[in-house]
This record gives sequence, C-alpha cells and structure tokens, in this order.
Amino acid sequence: MNLDDRAAIPPEVLVRQLGEETVILDLASGTYFGLDESGTRIWQLLQQGATLREVCNAMLAEFDAAPQDIERDVLDLARELSGRGLIRIA
Amino acid sequence: MTGIDLDLAPARRQRTLRSPVVTEWKLHGRSHARIHRTREGFLMRFPQVADFHISRDGSHVSTRPAPGVETPSLYNVYLSQVLPMALSRRGRLVFHASAVEVDGCAIAFMGASGRGKSTLAAAFATAGFPFLTDDGLFVEVANGAASVVPGHPSLRLWGDSGEALLGPEPGLEDGKSRILSGDRIAHCTTPRPLRRIYLIDEADDAGIAIGPLAGAPAFTALAAHSFLLADGDARLLEGHFEGLAALAGAGLCASLRYPRRYERLAEVRAAVLADSRSPRA
Repeated sequence: MNLDDRAAIPPEVLVRQLGEETVILDLASGTYFGLDESGTRIWQLLQQGATLREVCNAMLAEFDAAPQDIERDVLDLARELSGRGLIRIA
Repeated sequence: MTGIDLDLAPARRQRTLRSPVVTEWKLHGRSHARIHRTREGFLMRFPQVADFHISRDGSHVSTRPAPGVETPSLYNVYLSQVLPMALSRRGRLVFHASAVEVDGCAIAFMGASGRGKSTLAAAFATAGFPFLTDDGLFVEVANGAASVVPGHPSLRLWGDSGEALLGPEPGLEDGKSRILSGDRIAHCTTPRPLRRIYLIDEADDAGIAIGPLAGAPAFTALAAHSFLLADGDARLLEGHFEGLAALAGAGLCASLRYPRRYERLAEVRAAVLADSRSPRA
C-alpha cells in the first residue's frame, strides 16, 4: 500500500453516518465496524475517490495534527479497513 | 404480539450432532448453547437441558427436553433465549433488556447478564410503573419511531432481589424465580413508544450517574445486546443494521451507572425518572 493508492468500497459493504461517526456493516462476514470523527472523514474522502496522499493533505488542512501523525493514521486505518475487506486498494 | 407456540416432544437423551455449528454461546468460559444448521432450519442445543428446533423462517419452534428437565425450566430457556432468536429470523429487533412503562412511554434497561435489568424493572413495577418485558425487548421501528411490544407477563428475579423488592413471597427460591404479574406488579399489555434505553454500566459505589450515549458507541452497545440468527442472510443482516442505526441515531440511548445496593434502588429509580422526563440533549 502506498500514498498513490485509491480505495474502492465493495458493494456488500453498507454504511450509515450517525452524527459525526460512522458504522459499517460487511454483509459478507456479518460484522460491524465503527469509525470515530476522524475515521469518518477519512472514509468520506476515500469514498470520493481521493488517493491516500490527497486524504492526508485534506486531513492536514482540517485537523490540528503533525503531517507524520496524519500519514500514519491514514495508512493504519486504510490497512485495517482493507484487512477487514471493507475497502479494496487499487 | 411476540409469541410463537412451542411444540413439546417427549424427553429423550441428547444424541451427538453432526450438523454444522453456526454459533456457540459461552458462559463463564464454558459452552452454554450451540446453534446447528439443519435441513429445516436450526437446532439450538442446551446441553443436558433441551434441543430446540427453529424453522428457517422463525415461524415455528419445537423442543425435546433431556430426561428429568422440568417444564418451567424449559420455558425459561425458551422465553429468554430461544424465542428471541426465532423472532430475529422474522426480521424482528430483539434485545437482551427489560422495559417498564413511564408516562405512557417505554424505558428500557439493557446490559449483560447480572447487571440488574430485572431488578430495575421490578423496582419500577413495585412503585406503580407496569413492566413491559423482562426476558427480551422487542422493538418495532416504523417511520422513524420506535415502539416496544410487550413480552411475557413475568419477571425473573434472584431470591434476594425478590425478597428485597416484594417481601417474603411464596415460591421465591435462592436461585432465579419467575414471578407472574398480578396485583403487586402490573404488566403493560399494549405497545408503547420507546423513550429511553439505559445501558447499564458496571456497579459504581460512588453514586448514580446517567450520561448521553450516541453515535457509533451507542450502535456498538445496541449490537452487543441484540439477538440475531442471521447465518449469512443478507436481508436479515441489512434489516438488523438499519434498525440498530435508526435506534442509535434517534438519541434514545444513555449510560447508567449506580451502586448495586437494594437500599439505593429508590434513588436510582428517581434519577432515571427525572432523566427520562427531561428533554433530549
């Protein structure tokens, strides 16, 4: 996985936003997953087709955090979502 | 209503099952029940207690007890653990929770076993607030509004809880006893709009605390206390997900922490009443 990758959301993944947070259902496994406020923003940007680098840049503009922390958080979440089958990296 | 007739077969020693296991419930690290997939639907096995057959669409349940198991024990298992799973096959939202009626609305107490759901329901019922359910909370969500459907007209209480709340009562035992509704504890028999769901936290000797619970944490808590026998059925999974998301997003949930002392129950009841009557944040 690198910063030029984009994510696709499989059709069997259902998403609902609850306030500033998000819950996700993977119909294939029947498991739920929750995203906090920053995770929700990352998900929204990925859903819009942004590369991981573009996600990092947008998060840097919106959240008060160091660039290296944002890059680590974005990559960690993308790996976790990919590992759970909730996104496909392309 | 929430009932499904239970067909009873003669007792027989449980035989080894070879059908695939869908899920297993554990209690204190030990297997408490297993659900097997069968040609007709599902078989819930409670070792040394009974086998329950649930039709694939959840419309029919039959049971065969193990030798020596008494009928009341069989119905306790059926009402508290099998019926909720069967109803979930019919797309119903069912939770491990009790509920009482306050001002024409339902307030629910949700939490793991032993957190005090039944004791709280009894503490309200003995103070003139009829209970809607004890063993399983059946919720209907329609047009954005949630309502609670009454369950079985009985409360299951530990002997010490029963005695503390009801006084000496014939039939109360050291273990859990099922107490039918009557003059002292009324049962609400009509659906009521759901006003609050209290997620019961661990005991706190420091005092009573009620706090808001919303968003993903509310969803996660509701999911953890819900019954669902989906077995990969996408329609059931999606309906369950939508129902939980609607409840979590409706601002109905709150966390409840209190000391587990009978002499403080009146205070807990007063705090819950005040909170449930206050406008949502």
